[in-house]
Amino acid sequence: MVTHIGIGFSRDANAENAAKEAALQSKADLQDGRIDFALILSTMHYAPQRTLPVLNQVLNQTRMIGCSTAGIILSTSIETRGIAVLAIHSDDIQFGIGSVKDIHTQDVRSSGVILGKNSVTDFGNPGRQFFIFFVDGFLKNNSLFLRGLQEVLGNVFPIVGAGSCDDFHFSNSFQIFRNKVLEHSATGLLLGGHVNVGIGAQHGWRPLGKPRVIDKADGNVIITIDGKKASSLYEEYFDKEAENLRSARLGQMAILYPLGIKIAGESEYLLRNAVEILEDGSIVCQGDVPEGHDVHIMIGNKDSCKQAAVGAALEAKKNLKGALPRLIIIIESMARLKLLGRIAFEEVKRIKEIFGLTVPVIGMYSDGEICPFQSIESIKRPLLQNESIVIVAIS
Amino acid sequence: MENISTYISLVVGLLAFSVIGILIFVVINKNEQLNLLKLALNKLKNSFNELDQQAKLIVKTDLELNKAQEELDKRINGLETLQKVSRLISTTLDENEIFNRLNRVLLAELGFEKNLILIYDENKELLDRINLGFPPNDIPFILSKLLDDGDLIKALSDGTSFSSLESSQQRKEEISRLFEVEHFILSPVLTQNGIIGYVFVGNRSNASVITAGDEELVSILANQIGQSLENALLFEQAFRSSQILESKVQDRTKQLASALEEVKSISKTKSEFISAVSHELRTPLTSIKGYASILMTGKLGNIPDAVKDRLAKINTHSDNLVKLINDLLDIARIESGRTEMHKETCNMTNLIENVHDLLTPQMKDKNIQWIALLDPKTPEIFIDKGQVERVFINLVSNAIKFTPAGGTIMVKSQLNDKIVEIEVADTGIGINEENISKLFGEFYRVENEINQNVKGTGLGLALAKKIVEAHSGKIWVASELNKGTSFHFTLPIKKT
Repeated sequence: MVTHIGIGFSRDANAENAAKEAALQSKADLQDGRIDFALILSTMHYAPQRTLPVLNQVLNQTRMIGCSTAGIILSTSIETRGIAVLAIHSDDIQFGIGSVKDIHTQDVRSSGVILGKNSVTDFGNPGRQFFIFFVDGFLKNNSLFLRGLQEVLGNVFPIVGAGSCDDFHFSNSFQIFRNKVLEHSATGLLLGGHVNVGIGAQHGWRPLGKPRVIDKADGNVIITIDGKKASSLYEEYFDKEAENLRSARLGQMAILYPLGIKIAGESEYLLRNAVEILEDGSIVCQGDVPEGHDVHIMIGNKDSCKQAAVGAALEAKKNLKGALPRLIIIIESMARLKLLGRIAFEEVKRIKEIFGLTVPVIGMYSDGEICPFQSIESIKRPLLQNESIVIVAIS
Repeated sequence: MENISTYISLVVGLLAFSVIGILIFVVINKNEQLNLLKLALNKLKNSFNELDQQAKLIVKTDLELNKAQEELDKRINGLETLQKVSRLISTTLDENEIFNRLNRVLLAELGFEKNLILIYDENKELLDRINLGFPPNDIPFILSKLLDDGDLIKALSDGTSFSSLESSQQRKEEISRLFEVEHFILSPVLTQNGIIGYVFVGNRSNASVITAGDEELVSILANQIGQSLENALLFEQAFRSSQILESKVQDRTKQLASALEEVKSISKTKSEFISAVSHELRTPLTSIKGYASILMTGKLGNIPDAVKDRLAKINTHSDNLVKLINDLLDIARIESGRTEMHKETCNMTNLIENVHDLLTPQMKDKNIQWIALLDPKTPEIFIDKGQVERVFINLVSNAIKFTPAGGTIMVKSQLNDKIVEIEVADTGIGINEENISKLFGEFYRVENEINQNVKGTGLGLALAKKIVEAHSGKIWVASELNKGTSFHFTLPIKKT
C-alpha cells in the first residue's frame, strides 16, 4: 500500500513545452507512470487551451483539475510565472472530482450543490475525508456557493477552497476540469480512503481604528456603516487614495486593507475583501456580511503574516494527530504575496521547518480562501475568508 | 389616641423627610456620578476618535510604505534581471545568440506585461526580435503604423524616449492605442552609427503604472542591447574582413604555388636542356681541344708560329668553354638533385689553408695581404670537401679579381651554435646595391671595368650558392662601393 507523489514545474516561454516539462517532471517520481489524480496550477501567461492537450496526453488522461493563479508555491521557490503539476498515484487514497459551469449566470447556491454532488458521484464509495475546490475568484458571493457545497457534504465536513485569479489584474481567471478549460466555474476534488488531513488557517491581520457597526447589509453587500454610506469608511481612511476605490486599483488596495468583522465566539476576525463600490456607496464583498456586527479596517505586516503562517502550520500539524505528512498544500491569499513581496518564500521556509524539509510542498496564491474558521468552539465550520493562509497537511 | 396619631404622623413625616432627603442626596450623588460617567464617556469617545485619527495616519503611512516597498521590490527585481541580461548578452558576439539569451522568460522578469524588441535588419527592415504579449499577427500592423509616424521615428532617432509618464496626452493616446496598453515606455536602441531599433514595454492594466524607475531600467536595457549588438556587428565585420583576407591570401598562395610549380618545371626543363646541350657540346669540344693539342705538338708536321698562336688560343678558349660547360652541368646536377654531396668530416682550417696555397701566386702578383681569422673552437665539420673548396676558390678568386693591388683579403670563421659562419671579405671596388640582389643569378655579371677586361661565365656565384644550399646553409653578401665586399656563408657542423 503505497502513495507516490510527484511535483513538476516549468517556466519555459513556450506554453506546450512548459506543460510537457512540468507534466514529465511530476510523472518522473511516480512508479510505472501510473497516475490517479493530477492538480494543475498555472499563471495566466500560459493559455490553457494550449497547455491542456499536452498535459492530458502526458498525464494519461487521468483525473485532472486545476485553475489559474497569481503565483505558484513550491518547495524551493515562489513563482509568479509558470505551470506546476501535482501528480498522485496511491493505493490508499481514493479520489473523486467534479465541476460546475457558468456559476455567474446560475443560482450560486445550486451551483455549489451541483459541484458537491458531481464530486461525490465520481468518488463513489463511502469514506470521504476532505474536499478541496477551486472557484472563480471573481464570483461576488462565494459564501452562497459554500453553503450549497455544505448541503451535500455537511456543515462541518472539512472543506478548503481557493478563488482562482490572475496576476493582480482582477479581470479574469480559468478553471481546469479533465480536458476542459472553464471560466466562471468551479472544480473540486474529494479525497477519501486511508488518508489523514490536517488543516490550519490564519490570516494575521489586525484591527485598526475604532469599531463601526454594520447597520445595514444584504448578503454580501454592506449598505451603511454607522449610519453613513459604507464606502465612507474607506474614504475616511484613504483620503486622496480613496479616488482609486472605483477604479481598477480597488482590488489592489482592498486586499491589503480588508474589512474585519468581529463574530461572537470566534477568536479571529472574519475578513472580507471589497470587490466593488456601487454608485450609492455600498461595498460589495467577496462573501456574506452579517448585519449588526462591529467592523474594522484591518492591517497586516510582514511579521504578522509570517507568524500567521507558522500558526496555521502548527495548527495543521496538530490536526494531523501525529501522522507524518506526505504532502503539504498551501492556499494563500494573493494579498500576502503583495505584502511580503521578495520575502514571500520565508513563509514557506518556516512551514517546511515545521513539517520537515523533505515533505513536498505545492500551493497557490488565491483570491478568497475557504477554510474551517479558527473558533473557540470545538467544531470548526468552513467559511469564506480573505487574506488567509490555509495549510493542508495530507498524510 | 390623638397624641399617638400625631406622634406617628410626626415620625412618619420625619421618616419621609429623611427618606426624601436621602433620595435627594442619592439622586444628586447619582447625577454627579452620571455626569462623571458622561465626562468619562466623552473622554473615551474623544480618545477613540483620536485613536481613529491616528489609525488613519497609520493607514496612510502604511499605504505609502506598501507602495514604496512594491516599487523597491520592483526596482530590485528589475535591476537583478538587468544585471543578468547584461551579463548574458555582453558575453557573446553573435547577434542571434544575443536574442537567444535575451529570451522571453528573462524579459518577463522585468515585470512588464507586453515586451517588444524591434531591430532593423541589414536591409533596413524593422523586425520583431523579441515579442512577449503581442499576438504575432498584430506585429505587421504595429510596425507599419509605427514607421508611418515620421515625427515619432524622428524623435526616437534623436534619442528621445516616450513613456506614459512623460509624453504629451496626444502622443500618449496614440502609442497606447497602437500597442493596446494603458502604460508604456518606448525607447530607442542607439549605437554610434545611429538608431538600430526600439524597445517597447507596456502594461494593459490601469493598475500597473509606469514609474520613473521603470524608465531608467528600460533605457539601460536599450543601451545594453545597443552596445551588445554593435559589438556583435563590429565582430561580424572584422570576421568577414578576415575571412575575405584569408580567402585572398589562400588564392594568392595558390597562384604563387602554381607559379612556383611552373618555375620549377621551367627550371627543370632548363636544367635538362643545359645538361643535354652541355653534354652534346663537350664531346665535340673535347675533339677540338684534342686535335688542337695534336697539331701543336707538331707530330703532324711543322706548323708556322702564327698558326701555333692561333692553336694556343683555340686551346685556351676550349678550356674556358669546358669550364663553362662543367659549371653549367654542376649547377644543373645540383638543382636536379642528381649530384650528391659526398660529405665527410673535414678540418676547416686545413681546407682554407689549401685554398690560400692554391691562390697565393695570384695574390702575390697583386701584393694582396691575406688574413685568416679562424675560430680555434671550430670542430671538424661534415661537408663535401671538394665542393666547399670550390666555393672558397670562387669567392677568394673573385676577391683577388676585384681587389686593387696592395689590398687585403680576410677569411674569418666563427662558431655560432650549431653552424660555422664563414666570411670572405676584401677591400675591393665593392658592388652597388642594385646588383647585390642579382649577384647569385646564373650568367649575371656586374657591369664594371674589371669584368669588361676579365672574362668570366657568370656562373661562379650561382654555383657557390647551390653548393652552400645543398649543405643546408645560407649565403649572402654585404658590400659598400669602393670600400669592399664581404661574402658570408654558413655550414652546419653536424650531419643534416
